[in-house]
Amino acid sequence: MTTKFAVNSGGTDRDLLLISVFTFFTVSLWVVFEVLKTMKTSTVSQATTQIVVPLSPKIDTNTIQVLLNKKQY
Amino acid sequence: MAPFDYKKEYDRYKRYYLSMEPVLTKPVNQAYTAIIFSFLAVSLFGWYAIRPTVQTIVTLKREIADKTVLNKQMEDKISALIEAQATFGDVEQNLGVITQALPTSSDPVTAIAQLQGLAQESNVTITALSLPSLPLSQKQIGKQQSPSPTIVSFVVPMSVTGTYADVKNFLQSIGNLRRIIQINSMVFAPRTERMSQATESATPQATGTMVTVDLKLTVYYMESGALQPKTSQQEGESLL
Repeated sequence: MTTKFAVNSGGTDRDLLLISVFTFFTVSLWVVFEVLKTMKTSTVSQATTQIVVPLSPKIDTNTIQVLLNKKQY
Repeated sequence: MAPFDYKKEYDRYKRYYLSMEPVLTKPVNQAYTAIIFSFLAVSLFGWYAIRPTVQTIVTLKREIADKTVLNKQMEDKISALIEAQATFGDVEQNLGVITQALPTSSDPVTAIAQLQGLAQESNVTITALSLPSLPLSQKQIGKQQSPSPTIVSFVVPMSVTGTYADVKNFLQSIGNLRRIIQINSMVFAPRTERMSQATESATPQATGTMVTVDLKLTVYYMESGALQPKTSQQEGESLL
């Protein structure tokens, strides 16, 4: 039994090229989005963020003075 | 299953590769193959080599930026804490007045003592006073205690009798008490009597119109120490 191999090179090549090009673009976009996600994600933990919450060192001494002037029995 | 006949298989694949040869020798096909494998190679290396490298670079740069900002914030906070500590040291001896104004428990006895002292000073007589059921300490609040500190209150109905001027003075002075007490409502009932016959605390020589005032006072305290006023419904719940 003999088998004939017919290679239709034109269509196959074009299909393979499209597949490789789309693979390339997909991988490129994937890499870009992963890098963007990494750039946007903070590396500081939630606990540390809570620690560095700004603190106002001002104490309302006027209110304490007002309370001192009020009567206490 | 038939045994593997290598001669037959060799012959078959030989013919296949021989038929491929003219196809691969064409310049167009060679160009296509080169381009296709280039794209696939770049994709493969892009995913397994370039992506981790770029990601590591970006992560490290981001970490450096975050740590720089964090360092600045930490320094600011340390400075603020030092300043706050100095300010706190200045007012530390007077901080008791805050607890007196807004105790951490209901402390009704002190509140009543304030009103009694004020009544004596204002020459009015407290003729009636009642207290609602109250949690006397924070431990008794138990499960109802919210994790965030809140300001709660209780209502004290009371009646005072005295001359109009004394009652007026008493009412005005309630706002001047250190303990935060608010007048919710007042009902005046005037009576014309001799002052000397009316009350023991009145000056015997003084005469005037005697007035009885029914008051509803709201006394505030702080459950855990925050500044979140509750609604009247929540207040009722906290008093139960």
